[in-house]
Amino acid sequence: MPASPHAQGFTYWALKIFALIVALFGLALAAGGLWLITLGGSWYYLLAGAGMLASGVLLFLQRLSGVWLYWLVFTGTLVWALWEVGLDPWALLPRVLALAVIALLSLAFVPWLRRHNAREVHA
Amino acid sequence: MKRIATCLSLLTFAWLPLGHAQQPAADPGLEPSTTLAPATTGKPPAGDWTAYGRDKAATRYSPLDLINRDNVAELKPVWGYRTGNLPEQAVLDKKWAPETTPLKVGDNLYLCDALNVLVSLDAGTGRERWRYDPKVSTDHIPYSATCRGVSYYEVPDAPSDAACKRRIIEGTLDAELVAVDADTGQPCADFGDGGHVDLMEGMGDSVPGYVAVTSPPAIVRGVAVVGHQVLDGQKEDAPSGVIRGYDAVTGELAWAWDMGRPGKTGLPEGDEVYTRGTPNAWTSFTGDDALGLVYVPMGNSAVDYWSGNRREFEKPYSTALVALDVTSGEVRWVFQTVHNDVWDYDLGSQGTLVDFPAQDGRTSPALILPTKQGDIFVLDRRTGEPLTAVEERPVPASSLPDETLSQTQPVSTGMPSMPRAELTEADAWGVTPLDQLWCRIQFKRANYQGMYTPPSADQAFIQWPSYNGGNDWGGAAVDTARNILVLNYNHIAMHDQLIPREEADKRGMVPLGVPGGTTSSGGSVPQSGSPYAVSIQAWRNSFTGVPCTEPPFGGIMAIDLQTRKVLWNEPLGTARRNGPFGIASHLPVTIGTPNNGGPVVTAGGLIFIAAATDNLIRAIDINTGEVVWEDALPAGGQATPMTYEVDGRQFLVIVAGGHHFMETPPGDYVIAYSLPAKGDPKLPDFLKD
Repeated sequence: MPASPHAQGFTYWALKIFALIVALFGLALAAGGLWLITLGGSWYYLLAGAGMLASGVLLFLQRLSGVWLYWLVFTGTLVWALWEVGLDPWALLPRVLALAVIALLSLAFVPWLRRHNAREVHA
Repeated sequence: MKRIATCLSLLTFAWLPLGHAQQPAADPGLEPSTTLAPATTGKPPAGDWTAYGRDKAATRYSPLDLINRDNVAELKPVWGYRTGNLPEQAVLDKKWAPETTPLKVGDNLYLCDALNVLVSLDAGTGRERWRYDPKVSTDHIPYSATCRGVSYYEVPDAPSDAACKRRIIEGTLDAELVAVDADTGQPCADFGDGGHVDLMEGMGDSVPGYVAVTSPPAIVRGVAVVGHQVLDGQKEDAPSGVIRGYDAVTGELAWAWDMGRPGKTGLPEGDEVYTRGTPNAWTSFTGDDALGLVYVPMGNSAVDYWSGNRREFEKPYSTALVALDVTSGEVRWVFQTVHNDVWDYDLGSQGTLVDFPAQDGRTSPALILPTKQGDIFVLDRRTGEPLTAVEERPVPASSLPDETLSQTQPVSTGMPSMPRAELTEADAWGVTPLDQLWCRIQFKRANYQGMYTPPSADQAFIQWPSYNGGNDWGGAAVDTARNILVLNYNHIAMHDQLIPREEADKRGMVPLGVPGGTTSSGGSVPQSGSPYAVSIQAWRNSFTGVPCTEPPFGGIMAIDLQTRKVLWNEPLGTARRNGPFGIASHLPVTIGTPNNGGPVVTAGGLIFIAAATDNLIRAIDINTGEVVWEDALPAGGQATPMTYEVDGRQFLVIVAGGHHFMETPPGDYVIAYSLPAKGDPKLPDFLKD
């Protein structure tokens, strides 16, 4: 498929970089999470990391499903964080803040991904 | 923020015993205290601050109320002074920690700078009256250049115009006792050798940096009692920790308490020296004129993190409060706060003397002793018996082949403790899930079995609370009119590990005095002569510098001594100067930072404290814990402030000198605050907004 002029625009590259960040973040969480499990620690980090890695790959492939998968991970994170530490704001900060920022940013790509996916379906 | 505070106070209560605490067998608290003058004997005039802790009882309580809740918002700097004499930048960056609290007697302020230069200022204007430089060179600086304060003494039977009738006495980093005339700054000719007494006499081999006095002597019944710091962590064969009493007039040795030479109170004769490697006392002592006692908060011997080499005679006194008879130097009683301490939980807090209220309304002469591990002990000053319940609780055993630790440790269950709820993996903290994950991994890899986790060599061990406290040298303050105890504390963990000697040798770890040795006693220290060196690190993310435990990293709390309940407990210090990668966040969020330096309480219903790493000095409403005034200092405020009155005007003074361990900017500032008045001198540049 010949790339449309739009596909090489700002959003295209922003999405690629964003997807890479999400994937690398996920990879690091998954690797550390695996280590933590071998030490008898929480399973959350491996699961969340694997989910983010998959989401990053999907986003890199310009799939809208990457956003939905990320939001699944984020929703799961919220539930886990509240289960683990309740409403303690300082304890919620590392568990929720960075992932929430990524979640909000991911929404910015939804219109572009929708248009892109629609073109793909037509093609 | 309120919620955190509430959680913390809940945690505090959760620590209180669920079972039945053992009450002291005979409750001396029920005896009427009529046989004894109250703790406030020798109360200074209301407008003065005549001892390090304001009065001999070390209450840090001022009866002044000219500055109060209603007008504190108007408080402004009214004069500033710089001590000058700053050493080179490397010393400022790595060693500077003045920790000084001035005295105020009459209309004079008296203080020392971090290199022991004595200064007298006009208390109303900050104008210098005299200075005396004992010429302490910087190679004598031990871990820190510190002079917490000076002592004031009036010779009772000297004529009022005699030289040195009123004198200022200080101990120096190069181990001298110095006495000068309080009016002129001239050394006292009748004291020692031209105003100087050599504290190295009888100490044997030493090199500069090992033996240093950093706290003001306690003067009781004409005897100046002095301890000294012995550089931590260097070697087993360190100079003695002997405690000595000197005649405050002549400077003659009155007695020496050397725990290794029981029955001998004089200077060692011939080749003999004061027993080497004994526990020392580096913090401020409390004097008790009524009972003729001095209360000495002892540390442990120079090998802090291993006990296999300790001698039987030193064990009862290590990390214990020792009451010495100030006339004979004999031990009257001992209360040990950690048995066979291998955590550097040495006693850093000065004891505070109060008339402790019993349930029936009577009072007992008591000493309140906060500790680094977060306990608050209340002891009968006559006997050393606890007045509130203390339990011996089982603690984990050491896994080392060459060490046997105590099976139990004392826990003060009859008083609230500082927050120290046991850590779990979920408490590991960071700013993002990644750094939090790294701390979780570290936690799971480390040896942690709750409080008093024994040091280990095969894996790192977590020490919580850290050796920096809990409460440390800033001590506590007591509103004696309302029986409210106020104290600040740290809430950070350590990630430490013993290093087998072979490995330490490979790394070239040698003690001070051997080529390559340094006066550093943080990070990694050699503990020469023992089988292990030790690495001592705050538990924080080595990449971001963010602590691995969640905020608050420090707080301040008020306790009602009558009900023994926490009135409030709040984080202390904002995040304005802290953030990941050491970048100041400029956020005015009260995160609660590590802190050093004590509080002051006034009859105006206010607590004044700096201490936190945000360089702010603040006033806190003692009823609510709410910060009602604050101002930014030109350097770190790691010193206890003080307050006094001159000509109907109340002043608040703090020495802003910074602190290398607290990573705050160094300085040499003395800053006075008051309610602005006409005719105030023009402010120096460093105090202009």
